[in-house]
Amino acid sequence: MKRAIPVLALSVAGLVPVWLYSPGPAHEGEINEAAAAPEAQAQTQTQTQTPAAPKTTGSAPKTTGSTPAPQQQQQAQTRTVSGPAVNTSEGTVQVQVTFQGTKITDVKALRAPNSNPTRMALPLLRESALKAQSADIDTVSGATATSEGYKQSLQAAIDGAR
Amino acid sequence: MRRVEHIMGLPISVDLRDGDAALAERAFAWLREADDRFSPFKPDSEVSRLDRGELTREELTPDLVEVLSLCDWYEESTGGAFTATVPGRGLDPCAVVKGWAVQRAADILREGGATTYCVNAGGDVVTAGEPEPGKPWRVGVRHPDIADQVCVVLGVRDGAVATSALYERGQHILDGRTGRPVAGILSVTIFAEDLAIADTTATAAFALGRDGIEWAAAQEDCEVFIVDEDRRVFSSPGLPVHIC
Repeated sequence: MKRAIPVLALSVAGLVPVWLYSPGPAHEGEINEAAAAPEAQAQTQTQTQTPAAPKTTGSAPKTTGSTPAPQQQQQAQTRTVSGPAVNTSEGTVQVQVTFQGTKITDVKALRAPNSNPTRMALPLLRESALKAQSADIDTVSGATATSEGYKQSLQAAIDGAR
Repeated sequence: MRRVEHIMGLPISVDLRDGDAALAERAFAWLREADDRFSPFKPDSEVSRLDRGELTREELTPDLVEVLSLCDWYEESTGGAFTATVPGRGLDPCAVVKGWAVQRAADILREGGATTYCVNAGGDVVTAGEPEPGKPWRVGVRHPDIADQVCVVLGVRDGAVATSALYERGQHILDGRTGRPVAGILSVTIFAEDLAIADTTATAAFALGRDGIEWAAAQEDCEVFIVDEDRRVFSSPGLPVHIC
């Protein structure tokens, strides 16, 4: 089942553009809000920052005194569409897909029979080649776990350490 | 003001733009206290006393209970690849204590009225505000192969960035399931709102090896930048990449 959810999710994700750009009237009944008319989809645009993924018992614990959420840039063309609930032998699966323009940028499982928290979100990762750059920066992330490592690190240069 | 001190075996830098030396000292004092209380290398620490059976879980301070609950959550979530109990070494919650304690040091700065600062503890970063009006803190991620270059720059205002990587000799992360060093990925960077989450997620993802890519990307409120052994980069769409 572990593999079935991502596969199913991606299959459903692949179907969503078909519903989105279907010129005909929306289907009634068998498909939920994912197949709603374009005007209805437009209304969902503002909800993209808080996808309605259900919490499981294993959700990550918050530590005390955390800082406010960082500001995320949202592009104007973002919209979120929920797919139909699909019954499988293991339970019901439903995914939510986020588009930027016509590009899928995120897929989340709204309902998944496996309660393991690591299976709740199914984000799409971008793949690219590793690049090197020597840009102007304020600080460096990357373990300088020893004092010796620190002396030779970019962070030491930024700190002005001797 | 800018200050560097070595605590918990780490160089910790504080770049404080709108606070005084006394405020920075309070943050450093907390980090020294955290080292005294939670280091498994100090015989009198709360962690060592718990490990020797001199304290029960009911007698622990709320701080250590919080740390251990974080350890337990990540251990369960990774199927034991991340663990605070290394066979033969006893209880070692360092992987959680570092990020958690540094986040609290940053909270001390904020609660003391500072709005603009950057704390860097051995490559794990917490930032607040803008170093220049309209500009975020530019957090470079060290290139896994080239020590004096970066492979991506993140633009961060209020947030945390942690990287778990293999580039220094003798440094390693063990897979708690096998006790052996992990293979598959070179560098995991996590952006989150809290360094306890970012740092522990990065370490746990690294311990999972290649499986850690998908696992980390699925963690709530975490954005990832991961380099695998083949020098391929996997990044999540929400990562705040800074265009220089």
